[in-house]
Amino acid sequence: MLLGIDVGGTHTDAVLIGPGGVVACAKLRTNHDDLLASIREALAGIVAVAGPGAVTRLNLSTTLSTNAIVEGTADPVGVLVSGGPGIDPEAYRMGRFYHVLPGAIDHRGRETAPIDLDAAREVIAGWQAAGVAVHAAVTKFSTRHPDQELALKALLDGRSDHVSLGHAFSGRLGFGRRIATACLNSAVWRVYNRFCDAVERSVAELGIAPDVINVLKADGGTMPLAVSRSHPVQSILSGPAASVMGIIAVCDITEDSIILDVGGTTTDIAVFAAGAPLIENEGIAIAGRPTLVRALRTRSIGVGGDSAITVSCEAVRVGPRRLGPPMALGGPVPTLVDALNVQNVIAVGDPRASYEGLAAAAATATACHFDPGEVAEAAILNAVNQIREEVAAFVREINDRPVYTIFELLEGRQVRPTRVYVMGGPAMALSALLQDAFSEEVVVPESFAVANAIGAALARPTFSVELFADTAAGRLTIPALGIARPVADNYSPAAAEGEAATRLREYLAAIGAGDNGDAPIETVELSSFPMVEGGELVGHNIRVACQVRPGVPEAWKKAVSQPC
Amino acid sequence: MLKARNSLGIVFFPAFDWAISPTHPERQERLLYTQDQLREEGVFDIAGITELKPDLATETDVARVHFCFPDVAAVTTSSHMISAGGAIRAARTVLEKEAKKAFALVRPPGHHAMKVVHGARGFCNINIEAVMIEWLREHFGPLRVAIVDTDCHHGDGTQDVYWHDPDTLFISLHQDGRTLYPGTGYPYELGGPRALGKTVNIPLPPGTSDEGFLFTMREVVAPLLEDFKPDLVVNSAGQDNHFSDPITDMAFSAQGYARLTELLNADIAVLEGGYAIQGALPYVNLGLVLSMAGLDYSHVREPGFNPEAVRQSAKVTGYIEEVCRDTLKLARNPKAPDKGEIVAGWFTRRKTLYYDTDAITEYQTESVRMCDHCRGVLKFETESTRNPLCLGVEAPIGACEHCVSEAYRLYESGQIKGEYRHLQLIDRVGKNYASYTG
Repeated sequence: MLLGIDVGGTHTDAVLIGPGGVVACAKLRTNHDDLLASIREALAGIVAVAGPGAVTRLNLSTTLSTNAIVEGTADPVGVLVSGGPGIDPEAYRMGRFYHVLPGAIDHRGRETAPIDLDAAREVIAGWQAAGVAVHAAVTKFSTRHPDQELALKALLDGRSDHVSLGHAFSGRLGFGRRIATACLNSAVWRVYNRFCDAVERSVAELGIAPDVINVLKADGGTMPLAVSRSHPVQSILSGPAASVMGIIAVCDITEDSIILDVGGTTTDIAVFAAGAPLIENEGIAIAGRPTLVRALRTRSIGVGGDSAITVSCEAVRVGPRRLGPPMALGGPVPTLVDALNVQNVIAVGDPRASYEGLAAAAATATACHFDPGEVAEAAILNAVNQIREEVAAFVREINDRPVYTIFELLEGRQVRPTRVYVMGGPAMALSALLQDAFSEEVVVPESFAVANAIGAALARPTFSVELFADTAAGRLTIPALGIARPVADNYSPAAAEGEAATRLREYLAAIGAGDNGDAPIETVELSSFPMVEGGELVGHNIRVACQVRPGVPEAWKKAVSQPC
Repeated sequence: MLKARNSLGIVFFPAFDWAISPTHPERQERLLYTQDQLREEGVFDIAGITELKPDLATETDVARVHFCFPDVAAVTTSSHMISAGGAIRAARTVLEKEAKKAFALVRPPGHHAMKVVHGARGFCNINIEAVMIEWLREHFGPLRVAIVDTDCHHGDGTQDVYWHDPDTLFISLHQDGRTLYPGTGYPYELGGPRALGKTVNIPLPPGTSDEGFLFTMREVVAPLLEDFKPDLVVNSAGQDNHFSDPITDMAFSAQGYARLTELLNADIAVLEGGYAIQGALPYVNLGLVLSMAGLDYSHVREPGFNPEAVRQSAKVTGYIEEVCRDTLKLARNPKAPDKGEIVAGWFTRRKTLYYDTDAITEYQTESVRMCDHCRGVLKFETESTRNPLCLGVEAPIGACEHCVSEAYRLYESGQIKGEYRHLQLIDRVGKNYASYTG
């Protein structure tokens, strides 16, 4: 049976799923100061019901790396970069220990200036004296030619606890993103690995012996815990992913759809095209820094159950700030939950506190003589309208995304959602109102309360690789797999597509994430450009991207699906 | 993190599935390395820089500008409509104040496409800047527009489209026509009788480097822009003045282009030529983008670039100073059109045009009515190795009542006479674009 634990901002949810459906579940408040304690408690809750022997796989989402980065408690990282022509690499500085070395690689992967290893040695020695123990090495266009990064790694070996190399995270371009990704990876490496050790100990102590422990990623997929130890940055911001994967599992989504996850502070919006969640084109940003970490394409607005209500004669507005829990639960200011309480849509805590709070808020707009009911109605309407407008803008943005071929511009697929799935605490309360606001059909899945844990439990491993072949230069790289080899001049796009898929499948099998070889591998990009020099065809520039996209294996979907 | 000082919209459309022919300079690969460089630099992650999707230009957008014979569809493909639509999207972004500036990094180019179109010349079918500017004028009202063409080739198409338009200042900097296609663009080409001095040509000698281009910008372009006081400055941003360009002989660098862009301070840039796709375009385009956005571009230089090795000679410097002095004087005191004659109240010139890309020869008679109330109705009688005699008539923006009715009279009597195969009418006053096939 599969065990999923989703450590969220407010709650930690756990669920155990067998071939017949959900066997056990647990919900408790997250202890932010001790995430491990929350996980142990959730594990214990499940084991108490189902016993330790039943668990064959444990999937876990954790906010540990995210918290360490956002709260700035991660390690200082020695970052070595070489830039060459372009934007001044100082623009991408990460922390105090950041050094730009001479050296350059051009867009085709040709070394146009050698890296200065003597300078690097000196810098590393200085950092060592300052106590820097983890490092990152990143060069521009290293995805096309990783040798300079590898040379820096060779220098650092023996002098560093962990070295993150830029090209190892993705084959996608983006020097600044690559720097941030490698640097953050090293920054959280130590704290993350300690956490992994503790998780493994706790699992053993409880007598659970799963075949594999996986960690959830922001793209809605998982990676084995063992892999995550060297790529901890891939575990950041996986929060929304668990919920989205939960909806995929519970409801059999095949059409273009919208997912709304209405929480306490925000509403998260995700979009499905033909049943698959859309992925961010480049990567997710954390602490204001864009990275190469793949993530579901989501958007968040500051409208949730705890969002504060502000009243003026012109408008009643919900959010974007949260100033505490609803007044019904002893909070300081009226919130959306209080408005729903007053309108008798829900019954939470002390309804009288809600009423009095809204009455006081109404009284601040003295000239207009609102009664609490009017304020509550206007607040709910405002919340629903904000959500509707944000969804429309999001879909417009998706359909207006840049494309680079005439075919795509003229024939490109447009997303046209036909259903809106709503989940999260206030989901049921808002569903009728959302149905009024949306022309699409609004659906509230029944087991929405633990859908996130179901999503965590059932998500399959994902991975993506980019292959880049330049037959004129006779070079091929698959950066994320550390492959760089010569290539013959008759290498074809079909061969490239085959090689990318094969290498991806081999890699998944090697890390024990192959799902017995039945993980669906799809090609998401395949292009081949004839390269001409001096009027002569000199080779082909071939680019392939393939992936195992996020999803839930069909067999397990059957176990938990229900009419939605 | 970087933040643009000027918000900038970039329409990047490399048409990765379109080529004139497999080894033609206008092929799929042309903007591949530029895209790689811009993405690797993280240009689209810079706060204030937005990537935009092109609009699709309509046949009306083209028919508002050009007389296309036999019709728009016959001389264009989707690639041209997207390229022109990309320019429109860039311009719309600026006029609607979504961004302060915009750059249409699109292909194919357009500045060799003239008023009358029988096919492709110099890799161009329709003039994407003209389609863009006339779209703007149709939707935002009259605008004084300056077009500064910094492509290495003379922008003969844009010059032809705006030859009689006193509200459009066209300035072209290019390699001297005695040494390069299309062989035109001399200082004495100054515009038609009602728009004298609104066309300005600055032919530069082969070997001109950063210093010569920047001198020309400061000494001729800047003062003329100051005189003209445009509402909008458009840069036809060709990049083939680069020292490594395979089909030209100039010595301009990425740093030079970025500096020129800063001096020009254009609202909208539209990519034109530039065929050193590996050694120049990635760096020149990056320099342009950073410069337009008001960001530091001092680290943008070609690998192994040595300014001393390509610096212009003293002789070239002296020659450029002379050309600039003469050009400025001529542009400010134009005497008379260099070619053409007035017959019965019409100013008429005859042109023989060669379409190198499609191997077409065109014979054309262009006439403008010497009206005292407006810039005058325009008439084009044209035949080519592809089309028998055709007629184009235009009542321009601001045409007087008499000229508008004269335009309709010419168009209708042409149909009755039966000597023309295809007839087209552009009525900018009534926004009517009609065609008729006899």
